[in-house]
Amino acid sequence: MKSNKIKISSKNLNVYYGQKQALFDVNLDLHEKEVTALIGPSGCGKSTFIRCINRMNDVIDICKVEGTIKIDEVDINSKKIDVVQLREKVGMVFQKPNPFPKSIYDNIAYAPTIHGIAQNKNDMDQLVENCLKKAALWNEVKDRLNEPGTSLSGGQQQRLCIARAISVNPEVILMDEPCSALDPIATAKIEELIDELRGTYTIVIVTHSMAQAVRVSQKTGFFHLGKLIEFGTTEKIFKNPSNNMTQDYITGRFG
Amino acid sequence: MPDTHIVKSYEEELQLLHDSLIQMGSLTETQVSDSLEAVIKVDKESTEKIIKSDEKVNKFRTKIDTQIMNLLVKRAPMAIDLRSTISALKISQDLERIGDLAKSNARKVEPLPLDLPESLLQSLKRLGLLVQKQLKDVLDSYVTKSVDKSLAVWKGDEKVDDLTHFAMNEVMDFLSKDKKNLAFSTHLIFVTKNLERAGDHITNIAESVYYLIKGDYLKGHRPKGKETQV
Repeated sequence: MKSNKIKISSKNLNVYYGQKQALFDVNLDLHEKEVTALIGPSGCGKSTFIRCINRMNDVIDICKVEGTIKIDEVDINSKKIDVVQLREKVGMVFQKPNPFPKSIYDNIAYAPTIHGIAQNKNDMDQLVENCLKKAALWNEVKDRLNEPGTSLSGGQQQRLCIARAISVNPEVILMDEPCSALDPIATAKIEELIDELRGTYTIVIVTHSMAQAVRVSQKTGFFHLGKLIEFGTTEKIFKNPSNNMTQDYITGRFG
Repeated sequence: MPDTHIVKSYEEELQLLHDSLIQMGSLTETQVSDSLEAVIKVDKESTEKIIKSDEKVNKFRTKIDTQIMNLLVKRAPMAIDLRSTISALKISQDLERIGDLAKSNARKVEPLPLDLPESLLQSLKRLGLLVQKQLKDVLDSYVTKSVDKSLAVWKGDEKVDDLTHFAMNEVMDFLSKDKKNLAFSTHLIFVTKNLERAGDHITNIAESVYYLIKGDYLKGHRPKGKETQV
């Protein structure tokens, strides 16, 4: 299951929002089929960083990205890259669950339809069921697939969004504080799901919960003021970080 | 680096844990030195008090356990705070065991004769004083967060082994001189072995202090003194 292959590689990544520089020379290699947690105070650039991985920043006019991000050694900012295809490969789950205003079934079926993944109704039914099963939601919704996605509880909606993200068979899943709006039980279900998904996908998760970072990730990166301060195994970062700034942040001493 | 936590009560809780451990350490030191004195002076009067005082050491252990449980559940300590908390847990266990060994030695005084050979008493005294010094040094290394001191204690256990071997030979000599000495000698073997075991707990503490400071385990083989065979 574990692989040492580098899936995502960021080299000298600098990001600007207008005059303001949000990321400074970020160099970071993320390995395949691992969960990487990104931590740091609000505004430190961790969300900006993951938004570069599926080019979500493209939609912000004043945003300028310099340096390279490669997935499987291909520069994702190259002109040859079709951003729709990139996002098929790199799914994303946001802080607030954001199901489409459609049925539970259509939430999952929407992207596979666009990408022409399922050939017929039977295939699609199977795909919807598989995704909902992988997201540990199937048993709770199998009898109400035609009800709106928004009728589900917050935790169920978030699992629906994860099911939607995996419906197009991505290789990478980006999660931007996926549990911050959820109760502990829903959080536990998402964390359990992350654990299961990591055998198949490369996952990058932004979190403000140190305990969550410890629980779900194998690697952790600490950002501060747009710079990657420390990156290493999660065990090392939380037991014995090398950098004083990392230690001050994770122990709650931050000046 | 800022020394204090943003949450003041967290800071206080860590400080209280640290204080408890130091108080427990100092109480254990007293127990070890009092029981040694009782043994080498064959002072049967003082033993009752030493045996009773072990309760105080045990109470500290319970208090520290509770403090640690609260810290873990409330603060989920990380990095240096996690290491401080876990080291305190381990150190308090070792201190409690050292306290038990001191109590056990105090118990051995009652049946001893008042005319034990001076050379035997001196060899027990040398061993006991070294164990006392090791305990003092390891507690100093904890307070001053000194890697060098903790390492010196860790390596110093070799000498404890040697003096144990020496004291054990003295006990054997005493035993071989007269069959009537058999019962006394059995007690003295326990006294010697208890001191040696206390030394082992002290090396455990040295390892905990090292881990606390460095975030890594002490590697390599600890130098061992002579093996004592009874």
